Amino acid sequence: MDSDTLDFSILNHTADLGILVRGSDLKELFRVAALSMLRVMVQAKPAEDTKRVKLSVTGDDLPDLMVRWLGEILYLLEGERVLVIRAEIDFISHSQLDATLATVPFDSNRHKIRCEIKAVTYHQIEVIQKSDHWEATIIFDL
Amino acid sequence: MEMKHIKLEKIDDYRWRIPRTGAMRVPGLIFSNLELIQAVREDQSLIQVANVATLPGIVGHSLAMPDIHWGYGFPIGGVAAFDLEDGIVSPGGVGYDINCGCRLMTTRLRADEIRPSMRNIVSALFQNIPSGVGATGPIRLSKGDQAKVAVRGAAWAVQQGFGCAEDLERTEDQGVMEGADPSVLSARAIQRGKNQLGTLGSGNHFVEVQVVDEIYDLEKAHAYDLFEGQVTILIHSGSRGFGHQVCDDFLKEMSRHVLQESLVLPDRQLACAHIKSDLGRRYFAAMACAANYAWANRQILMHWTQETLQQLLSIRPGELGMKLLYDVCHNIAKKEQHMLDGNRVTLCVHRKGATRALPPGHPLLPGIYRDVGQPVLIPGDMGTHSYVLSGAEGAMSQSFGSSCHGAGRVLSRSKALKMAKGRAIHRELEDKGILVQSRGKRTLKEEMPEAYKDVSRVIDVVHKAGLAHKVARLTPLGVIKG
Repeated sequence: MDSDTLDFSILNHTADLGILVRGSDLKELFRVAALSMLRVMVQAKPAEDTKRVKLSVTGDDLPDLMVRWLGEILYLLEGERVLVIRAEIDFISHSQLDATLATVPFDSNRHKIRCEIKAVTYHQIEVIQKSDHWEATIIFDL
Repeated sequence: MEMKHIKLEKIDDYRWRIPRTGAMRVPGLIFSNLELIQAVREDQSLIQVANVATLPGIVGHSLAMPDIHWGYGFPIGGVAAFDLEDGIVSPGGVGYDINCGCRLMTTRLRADEIRPSMRNIVSALFQNIPSGVGATGPIRLSKGDQAKVAVRGAAWAVQQGFGCAEDLERTEDQGVMEGADPSVLSARAIQRGKNQLGTLGSGNHFVEVQVVDEIYDLEKAHAYDLFEGQVTILIHSGSRGFGHQVCDDFLKEMSRHVLQESLVLPDRQLACAHIKSDLGRRYFAAMACAANYAWANRQILMHWTQETLQQLLSIRPGELGMKLLYDVCHNIAKKEQHMLDGNRVTLCVHRKGATRALPPGHPLLPGIYRDVGQPVLIPGDMGTHSYVLSGAEGAMSQSFGSSCHGAGRVLSRSKALKMAKGRAIHRELEDKGILVQSRGKRTLKEEMPEAYKDVSRVIDVVHKAGLAHKVARLTPLGVIKG
């Protein structure tokens, strides 16, 4: 997770934190968004035995799909103690996403928490197409 | 809406108005002073006050307390009341940490008696009270027990031997919100709640050992059992992952509901449902479960704090004399009676980072506080002070019985981290006589005193605007944080 080059920047918010994510296409945007969120949260070591997990998410539009997708990744960590190391988006439309995740059990000895993200909010959520790439703005509850 | 479109009018030294324009159904009213309002103008919280004013069924004003800062959807420090017939309930107007709140305990100890033991006290509290990200405690709830916690709140914890029945009358709403229905909870909410009861959490949650260092109102201080030099303990925690999941589940469902109903909202985080709709009712029932979980949580944390101090100081319960002064919630939506245009009406009051502040004589107050008013507990940052106030009549006439909830952040976490770079915050605090222990250095930096507004200025506005009156000031001696 930490070895991957991810195109994102941190947005300042008085109480919380946001990210601005860029991707060449929608698949890349959603992949980068998930891994960027996790990079903000966890410092993980690479090259681990991973388990493949299939994940499907539906949403009402792209911003909703983004909130739900990131919410699923967050729940895996918070609720199931499963950390996503890599993600591939197999299919994406404006209302559905299918992904294959490489995961490891969260281990507080190997994975250092940098910052606790408690939820993905809909506040000022944006997923927009620029001339040659896609951008998303996401604000988290800390 | 952009900040440049927000018109802010000064009413007097402590009140500012955003006149009703565009889709706003009511004006905005911000309790603030000239100095505090400058920082508020720099973020987006005033836009959020105006956004809340557009929600269906809002009455009076879209309100903000002097600790207002930029939240998501509602501003932090926001208060809004809605008509039960055509009004809405919004999970974003309650917040993720449902019934995040504070409880203050008094003791018979004087600060001088425990100062030599403070390092050991902080260590022992840190060891005995589970804290940190995703922390789990020694309590494992079966699904049946979790349902009992969700329905009975603090009373469940008392029945299990955590604290005593007297604590319940010293808790807002006796530590239980009616209408809780565990059958509306998702499997995920139940999963996240089962191992987190009796845990503090992370971020701005804390247990703080303090000394009463200034009394402003002797009579009320006496009624609250507060005296100068006394040791008090303040706990700040909420409903943990359970409450977060409830909020998350219903935000998603309401986001879809808003699209289906073609409701136009200025911010998707304001997703809501009519109070009388099936979805609105189900959210209320789930929110009540999380609120009750939080009250049970703080009840348990208090008990472990008491046990820790007794063991460490080798004293009997009578010598420690720990008593709950009061427990307040500051992230909640409640159905309450208020006067509106001369009529007594029941409204749904959202408090997102705001504290209920009932005046003397209010029928909801327990007998012990009926003559003096509700204790209003306002934590500051860990380097300065916290305050005890008493609810005042001005809160009923101006803010639907509400006051502020803290100092309010002024720096983003990343700005705080930048400012703290190269500094040893724990050492700086120690130089001021405050011992701090936290899971990570990062938390300490993010939560450093400069990240917050000057709480005394916030309290000054609350006091002078007549929302609540100053009773006593508390200074930290030792803090544990997640």
